[in-house]
Amino acid sequence: MHMTPMTYEQPKSASEAVALMQECGNRAKFLGGGTDLIVDLKHKPGTVSVLVDITKIPELQGIEESSEGLRIGSAVTYTSIMKSPVCQKLIPAVCEASHTVGAVQTRSLGTIGGNLVTCVPSADSAPSLMVLESVVTIVGKDGERTIPIEDFFVGPRKTCLEPHEILVSILIPKKNLGKTSFFLKAGLRKGQALSLVNVASALNIVDGKISAPCIALGAVAPTPIRVLEAESFLEGKEASDENLKKASEMAVATAKPITDFRASLSYRKQLVKVMTYRTLKSCVDNQ
Amino acid sequence: MATKPTQDLDQKTLVIEDTESALNAPVRVKEAHPIIYPLSLPETEERKATPAVGQSASRPDARLHGLGQTKYIDDIKFPNMIYAKVLRSAKAHAKIISIDTSEAEAMPGVYATLTGKEIPTNTFGPTFQDQPVLSDTVVRHRGDGVAAVAAVSEQVAQEALKKIKVVYEDLPVILDPEEALKDEVLIHPPKSNIYTSKVIKKGDVEKGLAESDHIFTNRYKTQFQEHVPIEPHASIALWDGNGRVTLWSSLGRITLGREDMSRTLNLPQSKIRMIGTIVGGNFGGKNEITNEPILALLSKKTGRPVKCTYTREDEFVSSTIRHPFIMDFTTGVNKEGKILARKIKMILDGGAYCSWTGTTIGKGSILAAGPYNIDNLHVESYAVYTNKTTTGAMRGFGAPQVCFAYESQMDEIAKTLGIDPLEIRLRNAFREGSLSPTSQTLHSVVVEESLLQAAEAFGWNRS
Amino acid sequence: MLVELKVNGEKRSADVPPETTLLKFLREYLDLTGAKLGCDVGDCGTCTVIVDGISVNSCIMLAAKANGSEVTTIEGLATTSELHPLQKSFEELGALQCGFCGTGMLMSAKQLLDENPDPTDFEIRDALAGNLCRCTGYTKIIEAIKDAAKNMRAA
Repeated sequence: MHMTPMTYEQPKSASEAVALMQECGNRAKFLGGGTDLIVDLKHKPGTVSVLVDITKIPELQGIEESSEGLRIGSAVTYTSIMKSPVCQKLIPAVCEASHTVGAVQTRSLGTIGGNLVTCVPSADSAPSLMVLESVVTIVGKDGERTIPIEDFFVGPRKTCLEPHEILVSILIPKKNLGKTSFFLKAGLRKGQALSLVNVASALNIVDGKISAPCIALGAVAPTPIRVLEAESFLEGKEASDENLKKASEMAVATAKPITDFRASLSYRKQLVKVMTYRTLKSCVDNQ
Repeated sequence: MATKPTQDLDQKTLVIEDTESALNAPVRVKEAHPIIYPLSLPETEERKATPAVGQSASRPDARLHGLGQTKYIDDIKFPNMIYAKVLRSAKAHAKIISIDTSEAEAMPGVYATLTGKEIPTNTFGPTFQDQPVLSDTVVRHRGDGVAAVAAVSEQVAQEALKKIKVVYEDLPVILDPEEALKDEVLIHPPKSNIYTSKVIKKGDVEKGLAESDHIFTNRYKTQFQEHVPIEPHASIALWDGNGRVTLWSSLGRITLGREDMSRTLNLPQSKIRMIGTIVGGNFGGKNEITNEPILALLSKKTGRPVKCTYTREDEFVSSTIRHPFIMDFTTGVNKEGKILARKIKMILDGGAYCSWTGTTIGKGSILAAGPYNIDNLHVESYAVYTNKTTTGAMRGFGAPQVCFAYESQMDEIAKTLGIDPLEIRLRNAFREGSLSPTSQTLHSVVVEESLLQAAEAFGWNRS
Repeated sequence: MLVELKVNGEKRSADVPPETTLLKFLREYLDLTGAKLGCDVGDCGTCTVIVDGISVNSCIMLAAKANGSEVTTIEGLATTSELHPLQKSFEELGALQCGFCGTGMLMSAKQLLDENPDPTDFEIRDALAGNLCRCTGYTKIIEAIKDAAKNMRAA
């Protein structure tokens, strides 16, 4: 287990980071918390010779509420999110999701942006951000762009980022701050476990009917996905057990899990059904 | 120069006064976190109590562990020490056609390389010596060491490993122990793959089975298990000018280790010193030498102390693991669930080398019948080579595997006959004076009492 | 590159290759061998140290990242006259066996108690989720932490 000689850069701004990355090309990688990258480099030494540490860049810091919504810098650690009173109040499901990642030590270093950029199908921060209809801001050589979070994920370990681009921040829109949402993760252990399946749901109840339901599933498709069919089914319906169960079935139909050494396809489907129902029910019961 | 340390506890400063110096200025050292602790750090009350017998005492190493002062092998360093790493086989079973270390040797920072040919006696093993220190003609599992490098840092050593070119010629790979039994592909030719066996006979098992009201036949299999000591294997070798080598090692059995060193290096034991330090977890996996002869030879070649620590990957691939067992239990019982006869056949997946299989098969076979009175018993066990990780000692030495089998079958029998699982065990359990599977008279037997106490403790209701 | 930081209150520095991990920096450049190498990939927690008040796996943290930070290691817990209450409880309650996971456990426990002086059983287990032990089964470690927490609250 070793890493080959590398240089270490600490750019002071996002544009400086982008310029550095353009200069170094595929010799370089952005370094966030390193909980994934450093491990990767130890397993595959020699693939990278320049590490560009982005965790101190000012634009990538901070948890701020504004008229637009709640902005979280991509370099904010899971621990910071969990401890932030603003996050606990306005986006509790994201705090809950952050708590399920790894262990205390992982969460101290790991960044929420890093989780999204690493882009594994089981990314634990993704479903809870997706059901709150988050958008992400990216800075590259051509400037800044903001896209819905669903468009950020392209495939396993593949985002829409160009090599020179850097994920700067995540914004949860104002209308969804405080929206009742729940996150559940199933793993082989309670700690330091990769998700077999993870699910988030969010909804409002207006005049006794479900309004703006959002359901997101992770680890059951090449990327985290929204269950649009179940969402449009639930919109405007009564929050009855029957409807919630039906939505859960639809989630199962949308999910495309695989069998691997951690769990079988059929078990994952069962997990999707139960966890979708439970998160929906929790949303309904906790309005 | 006379100095007198005084401790000014109120001020929280440690003052060392140089009473003879012309300057006579006290040196104030902030009282925080010195590396060496004065004896004034209080001993616990329990450790001072007399009589000691009957007191609850703390472990003598507990203090050092808590302070982080325990020196494990990797915490020890010597001046001019260099680092070694071992290249593991790329194949599960193959002939080695050639090993070319020239490019590695030419790397800046590399002091020396080592291959199996350079080891005076390239075999070792606690039971019989079938394992090479470094494979030079054939590799039998992915964990086999093929070459070693000593370099100025671990980073350089691991980069150098990549430059070693090994040419292999594939041999058929045997992974299934039952396949290995057939002896179609020999892993240690000309020896049979069945490298040790054991038979235990007591009474007349066929007669017992014939007299039984019910016969149960079940197969049970157990899996690999790796010790995963949190401290990886580690050793340091260094020589002195009198031609004596000292090994600091995480090895548990140092006298055995010294014998192995003497044998592999062709060196009299008087020239070998083995120092075993506090080990960060052994569980059976650190009971035989691993890299020690390699490090001794690298140290000799380079004239420097050489340290090697296993990576966690080495631990899983190369260090010994628990034997998987395949166990066929045929048990005859009467209507009341009393065992009249038991016939057991066991196959131990013996890995690529023997290691501690001798002890495992012995213990496993004797204990296979369970702590039950069985007059008619036949146990037949075989350990076979496979092209998988060497199976060696791991806490239990065969006992956990057979326990899984005989207790599972007991539950099967109880369920089929409609007898309470506790009751059926009480009907069969050893008592004072019972005979063991090998007809040893047993004393101080507390099986029944233990079962009843345990049942009481977790609320099992006896009807 | 030059890395300068405060370790256990003392300013320390060394010129190290940029890819040097904080663990290697502490163990090899500063001779503070309390933090251990168990897996090298941030799973087992034997390398746990506290950086700016939060516990991290030093084996996956570059020393360069800790430049300018305050690091607390096991060597910074006791003084010449006193053990840290956690060290005392671990010793008296027999929490450790081989001791290799001990420094990591103590650092995680310290960070927990620094933030949460009265943790529940669940909170203790959650705080230790990143520290593996193969010897003890964790029971006495958790008891020792509860004991230390009780003593620290009483003090």
